[in-house]
Amino acid sequence: MAQPILKLENVSVAFGGGRLRVTAVDDVSFALKDGESLGLVGESGTGKSTVLRAISGLAPIRDGRILLDGREVPSPRDLAFYATVQMVFQDPYGSLHPRHTVDQILSEPLAIHRRPDPDTLISNVLRDVGLGPSFRFRYPHQLSGGQRQRVAVARALILRPRIILLDEPTSALDASVQAEILNLLEALRAEHGLSYILVSHDLAVVAHLCERLLVMQRGGIVEEMTADELRAGAVANPHTAAMVAASRGFERRANSL
Amino acid sequence: MSERPLLAIEDLRVRFKLRRGTVEAVRGISFSLGRERLGIVGESGSGKSQTGRAILGLTPPPGEVTAKRLEFDGIDLLSAGASQVWRLRGSRMTMVMQDPKYSLDPVMPVGAQIVEAYRAHVKASNAEAREKALEMLAAVQLRDPTRVLSLYPHELSGGMGQRVMIAMMLVTDPDLLIADEPTSALDVTVQLEVLRILDDLVSQRGMGLIFISHDLELVSSFCDRVLVMYAGKVVEELKASRLADAQHPYTRGLMRCLPKLEGDQHPLPVLDRDPAWAL
Repeated sequence: MAQPILKLENVSVAFGGGRLRVTAVDDVSFALKDGESLGLVGESGTGKSTVLRAISGLAPIRDGRILLDGREVPSPRDLAFYATVQMVFQDPYGSLHPRHTVDQILSEPLAIHRRPDPDTLISNVLRDVGLGPSFRFRYPHQLSGGQRQRVAVARALILRPRIILLDEPTSALDASVQAEILNLLEALRAEHGLSYILVSHDLAVVAHLCERLLVMQRGGIVEEMTADELRAGAVANPHTAAMVAASRGFERRANSL
Repeated sequence: MSERPLLAIEDLRVRFKLRRGTVEAVRGISFSLGRERLGIVGESGSGKSQTGRAILGLTPPPGEVTAKRLEFDGIDLLSAGASQVWRLRGSRMTMVMQDPKYSLDPVMPVGAQIVEAYRAHVKASNAEAREKALEMLAAVQLRDPTRVLSLYPHELSGGMGQRVMIAMMLVTDPDLLIADEPTSALDVTVQLEVLRILDDLVSQRGMGLIFISHDLELVSSFCDRVLVMYAGKVVEELKASRLADAQHPYTRGLMRCLPKLEGDQHPLPVLDRDPAWAL
């Protein structure tokens, strides 16, 4: 567990230039240990998704570097990188090609990486994510939101990566479906020894899936803590404290009735 | 509640006749509402939003609404003509939708939109309506209401946008407000501020509120009474304070399957949907 598998050193991401320059991620450093599940929490616009996109090469890095297994990752990322790091996106309605069957969706990464025996790999991965063989030739519109997210997880898993980046994987789903996907992610991690970076605005979800979490605000990391510290309410940053209070639900003030 | 209820609904049904057959989104629900906060909770597709829309007569075509009784303050909404419903809607009963980004006109300053909403129902000069709009923007605790008045929706944050929506919906002093997921597009901390404002305004004005949401815990912390919907029907009605005593397996399952900061379980209990619930 000790070796960091992925390391970010002073990474900054900025969009636009000159007067319109927006620094979305500002000097972020952290390390993900092998087998660890790390949470990134924060409100919308704090740059947490941009951190994931920067890691996967979808956002321009202006400064700093990203190390995978101690080696700096190339830009653009190579096949070896994507064989190690995969991503699951928030919206299962938008992230699957509407005119591709599940089989086509899952074949594509295998073809790109020239993996042998795609047929067996696809049926295995479908079983891994709890979808039977009957789902293989369906189109996304024939699937429910939870089933689509299972397909998206299968697509990330099929190359047997070591790290999966999860960008709000359950926030578009109903509570009961969310529970199923969270259980699936937890089981897959235990079975395949995966490391996760989970982005979420929901503290309870992060505490459920991760051992350690980073709180982001305005592009930077303002607090780091373990899930146990979060549960115990050992929160130093006032912004984090406000989020914890908010996640406990609405409390009516005594005088407002 | 001994007085006449604000809203009385009996056997409300919403049907959509589609090419592949008739889909019944709401399948016979009954409830009455006084000047209280009622929560309607359910997952996507449970018919909770269609219930809210049917009350306001906003069911999109080809939807059909039938009911044994659908009365707002003694007025039968089913037999009332379009013009009467037109007059009620937006003045005495209003609705706040989920996402301010889509429910505000993007090419019109928000001030003008509030003025328009007000003058559609109240005989007032432009200047009077503007005064009223300013007053409402102040009531939803927007800093510098004069500035906000001249802003376009894209210049507002999500929380500001939803406050503007609430201001617009409350400017005519309605008796009934239907809030359909009013805070689910917002960040948690902003969500609480908006709920606080909604709560204050509803209790100050003594309005009836129907709060539609997928979030059982939030609804129960905000409302007096909760209806739990599943597959177009109300499967359970609860006092919000007695949520822990919920009887229906769906309600109980819905509560259990959420990850919690205290007393978390691994793996999470999942909901086994009994086909009998949908009968």
